[in-house]
Amino acid sequence: MSAETCRISFELFEGPLDLLLYLIRREELDIYDVPLTRVVDQYLDYVRKAEELDLDIASEYLVMAATLTSIKSRALLPRRAGTEEEEDPRDVLLRQLVLYRAFKEISIELKKFEDVWRDSFAAPGERERWASRSAPLFPGQAGVLDLVGTIEKLQTELEGPPPQRVQRPMLTIPDCIGLISEMAVSGRPVLLTELAGPSPTRYRMVCFFVTVLELARRGWVRLRQETPFSALAVERTERWA
Amino acid sequence: MLDKLARQIEALLLASDHVLTLERICELTGVHEDSALQAIERIRDSLTAGGHAIMVRKLGKGYRLGTDPDLGELVSGLFEDRRPGRLSRAALETLSVIAYSQPCTRADVEEIRGVNCDSSLGTLLERGMIQITGRKETPGRPLLYGTTSEFLEYFGLTDLDHLPRVGEITELLGMSPDEMRRRSMSVDHESEDGPAGR
Repeated sequence: MSAETCRISFELFEGPLDLLLYLIRREELDIYDVPLTRVVDQYLDYVRKAEELDLDIASEYLVMAATLTSIKSRALLPRRAGTEEEEDPRDVLLRQLVLYRAFKEISIELKKFEDVWRDSFAAPGERERWASRSAPLFPGQAGVLDLVGTIEKLQTELEGPPPQRVQRPMLTIPDCIGLISEMAVSGRPVLLTELAGPSPTRYRMVCFFVTVLELARRGWVRLRQETPFSALAVERTERWA
Repeated sequence: MLDKLARQIEALLLASDHVLTLERICELTGVHEDSALQAIERIRDSLTAGGHAIMVRKLGKGYRLGTDPDLGELVSGLFEDRRPGRLSRAALETLSVIAYSQPCTRADVEEIRGVNCDSSLGTLLERGMIQITGRKETPGRPLLYGTTSEFLEYFGLTDLDHLPRVGEITELLGMSPDEMRRRSMSVDHESEDGPAGR
C-alpha cells in the first residue's frame, strides 16, 4: 500500500467502522461471516502503515485495532467453559457493523432529500434567521433546556486559567534562620521539633527542615541523631557568628 | 377561482414566517379541521393547475408555502452566501442516528458511529437541526437530543414517520446480535446487499 493510498484512505473514511465495512465489501464477504481473519489483518495493515507515516489518525482506529487483535487471538485459543457469560466481542462488533451500515445508507437517503428540499425557499422568517444569528426569539422558539445548554457551553468556555492569586508567604527561610539563631545556643542541641514550635503546620515544618538543611550545608549547624529515625537535634557551630 | 376560505388560508400561509399548524389555521379562520384541510387541497390544486412555481408543503405539524425546488438554483441567487451550506457526511450520519433513536445521548450516537461526535453535534445544534430535549436519568445525567421541526423542513419530511425505512431501522435498533444473524438468514441475500454494495 502506498503512502498516498494510506493517507487518502484515512481522509475518506468516517471512522474504524467505515474502514471495516469497506474492507469487508472489498473482500466480498458477508458481515455475518465472523471472524473475518483476512479483513482483520488488512485493517491492522492500514493502521500500522498510518503509524509508520506518522499520520494523525483518530484514536478510535487504534481502539478498534486492539479489539480486532483481541478477537483474532481469542479465535485461536481453545474455548474455555465458563467464559460464556462475558459479551462476545464478535457479537458487539457485528451489531456495530450492522447498525453503522444501516445508518450510513440512511444518511445517503437523507442527503437525496436534502438535495431536493434545500432548493425550496419560503417566507422571510427563515431568511431572517440566517442573516442575523441574534434575531429576537419568538415565543416558544427556545425553552429552558436551550438556556441550560447555553450556560453549560459558556461555563466550559469561561473556565480558562484561574486568576493568579499571589499570597504572602507566611514564613520565609530568612525568618527561620532568625528564629533558629535565637533558639539554638552553642553547646546546647535543640530538637528540630522544638524549633518548629508546638503543633506546627506542615508548611512551617517543611520550612524549618529546609532551613536546617541549608544551615547544615553552610556549616553553621551540626545535625545529630541518637538512633536511626529518632528525633533530629540541631546544634549551632562556632562558624555561625 | 378560489373560494373565500381558501383565499383566507392562502393569505395566512404566505404571511406566516414559520410552519402554520392546522390548529392555528382553524383558530384564525374559525372553521373545523376538515373544512380547513379541504380548503388547503383546493389551494394546492389551484397552484398546480395554474402552473405556479409555489407549492403548499406539509411539514411536521403544519404547512408552509415554498418555491418549487426545480427553480432552486435560480432562487438561491437571491441569497448568495447567506444560505447555509450542505451538511457534511459526519453531520448527516449523526443526524440520522438521532432521528431514529431519539431521544438519545451523545454516547448512544458515538456507540453506533464508532467515532467522537462532538463537532457534528455542535454543528447540528447551531443549524437548529437538533435540540436538547432533556436529561437521561442515569449517573452523570447526560443530555438527551432530538430533532427539530427545522430538521423536517430541511429534508422535506412530513413527520418522523416519513423517515426512510423507519419501521425497519427502528426494529434493527432493538435487536440483539443473534436476532440480527437470524434475520439475515431469513431475508433474501439479494436485498441484503442492495444499496450497501456501493
